[in-house]
Amino acid sequence: MLKITKKLSGKSRRLSRRDFIATGLEVGGGALGLCLPSMLQADEANGNGASGKSLIVFWTHGGMSQQDTYDMKPDAPSEYRGMYLPIGTSVPGITVSERFPEQARIMHHLSQVRSVWHRNGIHAPSAHWMQTGYFGPTLARNAAQMPSFGSVVARALGPRVPLMPAYVTVPKSEAFGYQGSVYLGKRFNPFEVGGDPNAETFKVPNLALPDGLTLENVDARKQLLRSFDRLRKDVDQNDVMQGLDTFKSQALEMVTGDHVRRAFDLTGEDDKLRDRYGRHQYGQSALLARRLIQAGTRIVTINTGYWDHHNDIEPGLEEHLPPLDKAIAALVEDLSNQGMLDDVVIYCAGEFGRTPLMNGHAGRDHWSKCFTVMLAGGGIQGGRVVGASEKWGGGVKERPTTPLDIIATIYHQLGIPLGTHFEDKTGRPQSIVGSGKPVRELL
Amino acid sequence: MCNLLLNIRMSFLLATALVLSINVCLCNSLIAEPRVSFTNDIMPILSKSSCDSGGCHGKANGQNGFRLSLFGGDPLDSYRSIVLQAKGRRVFPAAAEKSLLLRKATGATAHGGGRRMSETSESYQTLKLWIEQGLARPSDQDAVLERIQWSPRQVVLAPDAQQKISVRAFYSDGSSRDVTSMALFSMSVDGLAQVTTDGLLRVVSEGGLGSVTIKYGEQTGSMQLLVPYKQSAEQLRELQGILSSLKTGNSNNGVNEALVNQWQRLQIEPAKVCDDPTFIRRASIDICGTLPTASEVLAFVSDSDVNKRERLVDRLLEQPEYASHFAIKWADILQNRGRGYSTSKQRTGTTLFYNWIRDSLLDNKPYDQFVSEILTATGSQEINPPTVWYRSVRTMPNYVESVAQAFLGVRIQCAQCHHHPTAKWSQADYFGLAANFARVGRKGGFADAEVPTGETIYLLDHGEIRHPKTQQVLPPKPLGDPPFELDAFADPRVALAGWMTGSDNEYFADTLVNRLWAHFLGRGIIHPVDDRRDTNPPSNPELLQALSDSFVKNKYDLKQLIRLICGSYAYNLGTQINPSNQKDQQTFSRFYPRRMSAEVLLDAVSLTLEVPTAFPGGPGEFPLGTRAIELPDENVAIAFLDVFGRPARFKACECERIDTPTLAQGLELVNSNQIQSKLSSQTGFTHRLAVNNRSPQENCELIFLTLYGRAGTAAELEVAVAHVSGSDAADESDKIERYRNLIWALLASNEFMFVQ
Repeated sequence: MLKITKKLSGKSRRLSRRDFIATGLEVGGGALGLCLPSMLQADEANGNGASGKSLIVFWTHGGMSQQDTYDMKPDAPSEYRGMYLPIGTSVPGITVSERFPEQARIMHHLSQVRSVWHRNGIHAPSAHWMQTGYFGPTLARNAAQMPSFGSVVARALGPRVPLMPAYVTVPKSEAFGYQGSVYLGKRFNPFEVGGDPNAETFKVPNLALPDGLTLENVDARKQLLRSFDRLRKDVDQNDVMQGLDTFKSQALEMVTGDHVRRAFDLTGEDDKLRDRYGRHQYGQSALLARRLIQAGTRIVTINTGYWDHHNDIEPGLEEHLPPLDKAIAALVEDLSNQGMLDDVVIYCAGEFGRTPLMNGHAGRDHWSKCFTVMLAGGGIQGGRVVGASEKWGGGVKERPTTPLDIIATIYHQLGIPLGTHFEDKTGRPQSIVGSGKPVRELL
Repeated sequence: MCNLLLNIRMSFLLATALVLSINVCLCNSLIAEPRVSFTNDIMPILSKSSCDSGGCHGKANGQNGFRLSLFGGDPLDSYRSIVLQAKGRRVFPAAAEKSLLLRKATGATAHGGGRRMSETSESYQTLKLWIEQGLARPSDQDAVLERIQWSPRQVVLAPDAQQKISVRAFYSDGSSRDVTSMALFSMSVDGLAQVTTDGLLRVVSEGGLGSVTIKYGEQTGSMQLLVPYKQSAEQLRELQGILSSLKTGNSNNGVNEALVNQWQRLQIEPAKVCDDPTFIRRASIDICGTLPTASEVLAFVSDSDVNKRERLVDRLLEQPEYASHFAIKWADILQNRGRGYSTSKQRTGTTLFYNWIRDSLLDNKPYDQFVSEILTATGSQEINPPTVWYRSVRTMPNYVESVAQAFLGVRIQCAQCHHHPTAKWSQADYFGLAANFARVGRKGGFADAEVPTGETIYLLDHGEIRHPKTQQVLPPKPLGDPPFELDAFADPRVALAGWMTGSDNEYFADTLVNRLWAHFLGRGIIHPVDDRRDTNPPSNPELLQALSDSFVKNKYDLKQLIRLICGSYAYNLGTQINPSNQKDQQTFSRFYPRRMSAEVLLDAVSLTLEVPTAFPGGPGEFPLGTRAIELPDENVAIAFLDVFGRPARFKACECERIDTPTLAQGLELVNSNQIQSKLSSQTGFTHRLAVNNRSPQENCELIFLTLYGRAGTAAELEVAVAHVSGSDAADESDKIERYRNLIWALLASNEFMFVQ
């Protein structure tokens, strides 16, 4: 039993040059084959028109301070109050941070829930909670256990236009891995853009051709694939072949066709509009999100910025608040101008808020007992404030709201029936909202 | 408003008073009526009407404030909800028909679940009587449902035929009764037959195989249904001829006989035997995870020995690739996981464990010994690598679920919180199995933010597990059998391993042979491979038995089992469909094609293009030329592998490895650097072809033989040659690009990616 493992003497076959054989043999017989089904017909046929609504998320990874942004406490002592002053907004009675002047101007479109809470104060489990609605991973077992709301939306609604990826993250999914599909299947994982849309050289890896490969060659490959990929699909009753064919075609179409590439191409946008969004990652990501949604993507999550401001919160916020503010406001106005605001839910949240009391390092720590999320568009009433925190921040004073309540609100607005269940790996039906109930005050 | 409240309060008081008085006074006057038992009469009604299902009142939060015990697992719990909660307003003994319970059930009061029963139904009358009789509560005196019996056990039905199922319940007091109308029926497969709520089975398909799941109380069972595919008399005669010729003179330990018997029962004509190029590609991939080389294909095809397929399998089983390839499978099942915050520290352990697995397979260590060494492992990973299993498997649910799923083929998860809805497992079974691991101790090791690594595993002096509801200490117990009798010095894990590997264990050998059968044939006889239960019966019990008997008789010899499987008719068939087998997905009447696994596919690309994949790792960790099937854990960052379904190794479930197609796979094939850089290499296959002096025809023939393991057809070669030759005006320097295009197209085709 106590065998000491030695390296195996016989190694597996390493790569070597092949024997060269120049004779062909009449063996095997070619696959008879049906014609490759006309490219994306199948896909187009089941493109669903169930709901025309989509979702754009600003994910404040790390945890944004509620007290320096949406839920100001001007009357609290300075160590609670922070460094910013509140300013009035387009909605009488609602104030926000002076670093949110753009949103203040359009507050009649935006609503806040100031009483969101959950029971964890660590990044990873909290991110899971806010992304999926459920507590799940612990430090000893940090794998995602429930699908993200993005994947649920992708699964329930699919892309609005078949060729587009249903669920996109910009530039990538957040680092904890909780924006994925888990048991819903890899198909519903987000498509990661993989680049900074504000970069001069922005191109999407795996959408942009690898160096040395030209479009003509991709076209040639497409033709050749069509000639050879003739294995009879009916021998595979699990539809893996059919599925692969569909996705190969879709991938080729994304690479060679115009529709998808154009959606990812920001250079077509008017410079003035690009400026309005702001020439930074926040702004250009938001503009990209709008383009993708317009082209038929269902949900775009913008993971831009790291908000974990334990030390010296002021410089941190100075860096992040203005671009976030500009991006959100420009997006809302742009959607509104294009008549799309009622079709797109906009959601801004992170895994938690930050401590009402500043710490000894001029920062704020993790705080999940009461924090604010912002919702707008997609039929959500603007200019409302739901719930309230305690006098100087801290706990929930009015209307405790859970992550599942927020997620249920989003699903409800997107037209996903709240009774929907999906089976997990054990075959157990899992509710998409559990005990969550839409925040009626916003509807 | 006040009046209303007052009224409610009054009626509540009244109801409470009545409950008491009825209990005390009315019993005698109703003695003529049979006493309605909550557990034995009411609970089945709640289940039959789906009231306590997971989508309705059975879910953890109940439905609109009314919660019942899920699937009737806990009668007292449901009783409390109905009788005591909501201020007693759900039942009204003074006027039973006014009870909210009944009014909701019949839809007389608005009910989200709609109308579940009519006023004239037996269910309604029983519920009403129970309320009138005074709401008898579940008691220890109630007869206990011990078993159910149903008939028929197996049925062969023609298309459009019907069959009535009857179910009888037997109780601890010796009584029995017909419970057909209260039993739950469901079909295991869609589209074969329909079963009505009162147990009438009606075939709706042209043929096939399935089973009806029967459930009453916590008892479950299943009935196999066979619907022979329709054939004309002439076709049948022909089929008989084919099948009887298959039956004569085969000596495949009953395996072939079991296959043929099944085809006979269902009147299925199996596909023709596959040709040699197909077989060598299939066997090389399935055994060694490696494509055959062009010369291997040629040599095999020209070999005239009638036993060449057996010889091929023997040869492949002696290749070190066999051990590496299957080590990946076991490293998945045994959760040899590398991911965490501190990979470098984990890699030592995962490598030791992977190498131990691979050595065990290379030495053909008997499977019973292999599993025992893992289960009973103590010491450090350097001395005893299988202790690394205890790194991923470290909590009470991990122990139970990993052991049950990996080695016994049972998914017992549900029984952690409630009686398993479709199997016999109770919480006592779950926690009894857990008790075998209550004394697993750990010390030392390096604890990073995730899971400690390099711990020493030892046996604690004490450790116990309690039943979560009764709080009773549970002795270590094997699954489904009485507890072990152990002295204080005995390691319960040794007893568990002994029980598991005993030749009469009903799960152990079955699970492994089914797992390997699924590996080679694309589907388990029990499917999914680790979901064995009465309600998910094997598609061919005789076949499972034959494989299992042989495996036990051969002392758990894995290679011998693989020889048996690879020598079976099923493994030698082509993929072709014919009218009688086109719908078949369960009798192995043709080979079901499947995509190569992620690691095998990446290796196939690397080997074919003669450009190794560079795996990121520490210095000297994965020298260039390392194959994907040699990677010890899943935490080697190669997007290709993740995109094509490499599992995260979080569960002891092969279901974690998936072949679901995704858009990312399409993009990886079409547009990734992984493939493009290999095509563009200055040393690889593509480059060599482009610069040699052979004719395009010769080069294209080689390409087909190398990638598909067969000769290209005339039509294929014509297209290929035309492309690589280019037009007259074409630039010579584009020639390599044209070879790249051709080879890419073949790599991206299903024929390359599939085992068939």
